[in-house]
Amino acid sequence: MKKKVLAILTVLALAAGLATAFTSPPDVLQGDFVRILYIHVPSAWLAFLAFGVTAAGSIGWLFTHRMGWDRVAEASAETGVLFTAVALATGMIWGKPVWGTYWDWGDARLATTALMFFVYLGYLALRRTTSDPYRQARRSSVLGAVAVVQVPLVYFSVKLWRTLHQGLTIRPDGIQMDGAMITALLVNLGAFTLLYLTLVSFRTELAGLEEAAHDSEASVRSRVTVPRLGEVEA
Amino acid sequence: MRAGFWRSASIIARRDLRIEVRSGEALSVVFPFAVVATWVVPLATDASRGLLRNLAAPVYWLVFLLFGMMIVIRQTASETSDQRRVLALTGLDPAARFAGRTAASAMILVPTSATLVIPIIVLYNYRPPSGIWLMVPVIILAAMGMSMLGTLAADVTVGLRARTSLAPLLMAPLAAPLLMGAAQALESLIAERSMITWVLVLVIADLGLAAAGVMSARALEEIAL
Repeated sequence: MKKKVLAILTVLALAAGLATAFTSPPDVLQGDFVRILYIHVPSAWLAFLAFGVTAAGSIGWLFTHRMGWDRVAEASAETGVLFTAVALATGMIWGKPVWGTYWDWGDARLATTALMFFVYLGYLALRRTTSDPYRQARRSSVLGAVAVVQVPLVYFSVKLWRTLHQGLTIRPDGIQMDGAMITALLVNLGAFTLLYLTLVSFRTELAGLEEAAHDSEASVRSRVTVPRLGEVEA
Repeated sequence: MRAGFWRSASIIARRDLRIEVRSGEALSVVFPFAVVATWVVPLATDASRGLLRNLAAPVYWLVFLLFGMMIVIRQTASETSDQRRVLALTGLDPAARFAGRTAASAMILVPTSATLVIPIIVLYNYRPPSGIWLMVPVIILAAMGMSMLGTLAADVTVGLRARTSLAPLLMAPLAAPLLMGAAQALESLIAERSMITWVLVLVIADLGLAAAGVMSARALEEIAL
């Protein structure tokens, strides 16, 4: 029931986000292309959050060996990879008309985000190598805890290296954005956060069902002895 | 009686180096393969001297990454789950095992990487910048990082059928800070700028990997058991 309410709230919030994205004013320099950022920025932020939760879940599993931690880590990593892919795709679509190119190696954030994407694709690939949930947790928890170093690297890349990417918009000394634009950005950030929570809660439940299915299959296998050739009479 | 940390690490390192001396895989298989790779690249270009000189450093670092990974993963993959069980039963500190394996891989990777400079100079007509010896600690730091990363990747994927393809997939993106630090250090040397920032990047990456390897050693040991 709670999940259904969350899903309905997410749909409503996404509709509100879409409405504010289309009714906010165009940018002086970027024109209507600025609207892509209402998807791009929340996706990138949610990717950071998702990988942070993956690290927390992995560390939680390493200390307690309770499968609930691993389920959250897995669900969050999958959702994080999805959001990173959306952030990369929308960034490239925005980059072509504004920067004149889909991909620029001079942009440190673009390059480090792509690296983060590949690291977590590796994490998911590692999980796919076995269907045993306990073995999945044992193998992936170390990687999930180590790979999170990519998040601060991506976030601070615009400060550390020469880059095309714009600097921080929301800073301690103020917000460098028009009021209507920041409203649209925050509404979309809220909507995407709800989307993240919905996806993670459903995926966590699914992971629990997968675990139960695996355990019952293992239990059946241990009880049923397959007859050997010659033991069965014709 | 249990041996101390460094003694255990040195026993593991010596064992790995002895295996490499007997099999000679890094020297007789991977190294010639890396030389062939440096030889093939000019065939894919117009092979003009200017272009090849510009390509020399990027090709070197690419070959260092790909063949370095091959050496490190091959080296660490030689240990089977049964061997690891025996080591665990002897009471060997898993962190000492990590240190020993890493040291052995680095000792194979450093001379191999340094020797790879020769085909680059010969085939690409490359003129090393003055003070090229300053790159020696850079290569050592990069090789140590690659070795630690390779040991971690091999431990995480131990016993998997897809190990040979999965370990490089996990390792390559995480090796980016090492590759970036080493390549930018050389660029700084060529431009006669200070390379200390990039050396620090390598040191921090190495320290981070060492901490990750030591802290996760016990959890990684459980995978093989």
